[in-house]
Amino acid sequence: MAANPQKLKKVKEFGRRDILMSMALVPDSPRLLAGSFDFNVYEFDFEAEKPEQPKRELKGHRSYVTGVALTESHIVTASYDRHMIWWDRESGEQTKRVRAHDKWLRGVEVSPDGKTLASVADDMVARLWDAKTGKPLHELRDHKPMTPHHYPSMLFCCAFSPDGNVLATGDKVGQVCLWDVKTGKLIKTVESPKCYTWDPRQRRHSIGGIRSLAFSPDGKTLAVGGMDQVGNIDHLGGKARFELFDWQNGKSVHDYQADKFKGLVEHMAFSPDGKWLALGGGDNGGLLIFFDLETKKEIKTEKAPMHIHEFAFSADHETLYAVGHNKIALYELKD
Amino acid sequence: MSSAKRKTFCGSPEHTLSRRAFLGAAAGVAAAPIAADMTQLDVLQESALAGELKKRQKHCILLWLAGGASQLETWDPKPGVETGGPFDKIKTNVPGTHISELLPKMSRRMDKTCIIRSLNTRDGGHGGGAQLMMRGRKDEPNLVYPDLGAVLAKELGRADSKVPDYVEFYSQTEGRSSARLTPGFLGARYAPVKLYEQMSPPNMSLPKSVDADDHAARAHLRDFMSRRFAAGRKSSALESHADAYARITGLMSSRDLFDIEKESKQARLRYGPSQFGQQALMARRMVEAGVPFVRVSRAWWDSHGQNFETHLELVSELDHVMSTLLDDLDERGLLKHTLVITLGEFGRTPRINASLGRDHFATAWSCSLSGCGIVGGAVYGKTDAKGEKVVDGEIGAGELFATIYEALGIKHDKEYHVGSRPIPLVNPGIKPVRDVLT
Repeated sequence: MAANPQKLKKVKEFGRRDILMSMALVPDSPRLLAGSFDFNVYEFDFEAEKPEQPKRELKGHRSYVTGVALTESHIVTASYDRHMIWWDRESGEQTKRVRAHDKWLRGVEVSPDGKTLASVADDMVARLWDAKTGKPLHELRDHKPMTPHHYPSMLFCCAFSPDGNVLATGDKVGQVCLWDVKTGKLIKTVESPKCYTWDPRQRRHSIGGIRSLAFSPDGKTLAVGGMDQVGNIDHLGGKARFELFDWQNGKSVHDYQADKFKGLVEHMAFSPDGKWLALGGGDNGGLLIFFDLETKKEIKTEKAPMHIHEFAFSADHETLYAVGHNKIALYELKD
Repeated sequence: MSSAKRKTFCGSPEHTLSRRAFLGAAAGVAAAPIAADMTQLDVLQESALAGELKKRQKHCILLWLAGGASQLETWDPKPGVETGGPFDKIKTNVPGTHISELLPKMSRRMDKTCIIRSLNTRDGGHGGGAQLMMRGRKDEPNLVYPDLGAVLAKELGRADSKVPDYVEFYSQTEGRSSARLTPGFLGARYAPVKLYEQMSPPNMSLPKSVDADDHAARAHLRDFMSRRFAAGRKSSALESHADAYARITGLMSSRDLFDIEKESKQARLRYGPSQFGQQALMARRMVEAGVPFVRVSRAWWDSHGQNFETHLELVSELDHVMSTLLDDLDERGLLKHTLVITLGEFGRTPRINASLGRDHFATAWSCSLSGCGIVGGAVYGKTDAKGEKVVDGEIGAGELFATIYEALGIKHDKEYHVGSRPIPLVNPGIKPVRDVLT
């Protein structure tokens, strides 16, 4: 059986008091680790009698937990408190705590082989780390610290290519940098400026930025997610948006704006065969969109029960786990 | 000292300081609390005399945070609770006082600033909230109260001053109409000079077809005819008409006041590249020249979505601009005579919405007062652990206004009259917050 987005169906939904900002699925298990705005990391077991009750809590951060990554031996978390913490996967004990950046960490990702971690933060630096030892490997600097309008910029997200050789990083004003993971050298930049709305007149500040990145399974296409230009920047009122790049040639190959949904595309994932792309995010409400990359049409759109901050598929892609504002939701995509 | 090299306000040789001009102006100082027109401002270049002038007049600069800044991301941080948001609190140079980490520069200047953390103003609408927080009370059906600037223009300005009494910067368009200023029952004499589209009022220069002599001759003729017409007549409209001409003439002679290019490059760089920063510099320039009240509006803080990113931008800017302004005023000996206020129409909800925004909240929010008449380092009032309600020292707009008036040396229970009806500056029974007043 293959995952079929057209069969998308919500099967469970759990209410929570907190906002879950990040997550990682434990491979080959019904368990999920989620980073919360209450500074904790929670582990949920969806086969437990009361799956809504966390199986364990990891306490150690001092601000929102915005990134969760799993290595062979550790849970690695990133937070606005500027720290990364390595937790033993079995015992939940902290084994390493590092002040990783000078400003908010926006996320942490693990390479496909599990050996390298990448962190991004509002100090506009991306860092590569040895996943096992926590040793810093490279410091990646090219994103500008200030926007063209003299305000602090932000570095929201990163993604490894499927072969683990390239890291993409995306910032507030729409610049994507592509880095050679082995050398730490900048390979290429691409621009998606529509993600950034600067209102020079009516409200005189900005909103938006690149909020999600994903490589296609063949590594040739890079999806860049965010929100289209906004009229009223008081709200997440722009159309949910992503842009596809043939990144090696620096070419934009498709630009999508959702007709039905407004808000940020907070997370994206390609199907294993590269035929569709899943998007999650939202404004005050939530969105899930499945997009056919051959026909360039929506396969399925779904109003999610909450603004989704992150989601992940089970190994067979037949179950989707999403976390976000006050909720966890599970969907099935079984044919 | 060579008079040719001396820097004058307008730069004209006629306005360089001669011994006679100095003595004449000095005599003027003895008789009048502030410069009567911009020609006297040349005298401000002389430090002793400037110092004498500065001691006499009080001023107010209102940094109007239009749209509603979050108290939790500025003056009343609550890190570690579900309403607190992601920003940490930092120590200040006042032991025991913490403010948001977004205000690192202000954290080193809190000894000059008082925080009020206990505003409960009960109006969470932009229009109603802005009117309330600019007038200190709600209008009555048949009575429009003057706003803060109009009252201070009347109380701190000088009747024959040709320098504007009341200047407003509001360059963004959002909220401009809801925060509209009014002199209310004080009348148009105390309406602000509005600087929306540019830094100076339009038509400050003579048209090309009219030279200065021609302009003076026309003014003389108009004055002659007005006096003849007014002879034997008693009308406030006639007086107002003549007064308006006199003020326009004064404004036109003040054109250098509105020219930011007259400030040094160093001063402009110091305030930073933002529009807000440059307007704050202009406010300092105006206060130094004798303008009693300047509102510098910075819209738009209405962060229903992405509150934290918005505040990262706007509070960082506020931190730089406000700290620079306080330093600059202090270095020029003006801070102890100038009250700097940060205020908006309300604060923002402790609850964080699904767009990671905060909504309107008038129940428990904060403002700051720095400088003139204020106990630096004071913190007045307290909110509960989540910032949801005031638990100590609750005050409304009236008490805040009474405090502002007293800080500027104006009795809060002073009365005006509308017809025969006495109208106190604040509603009867309202008291200032004495704890924060020197």
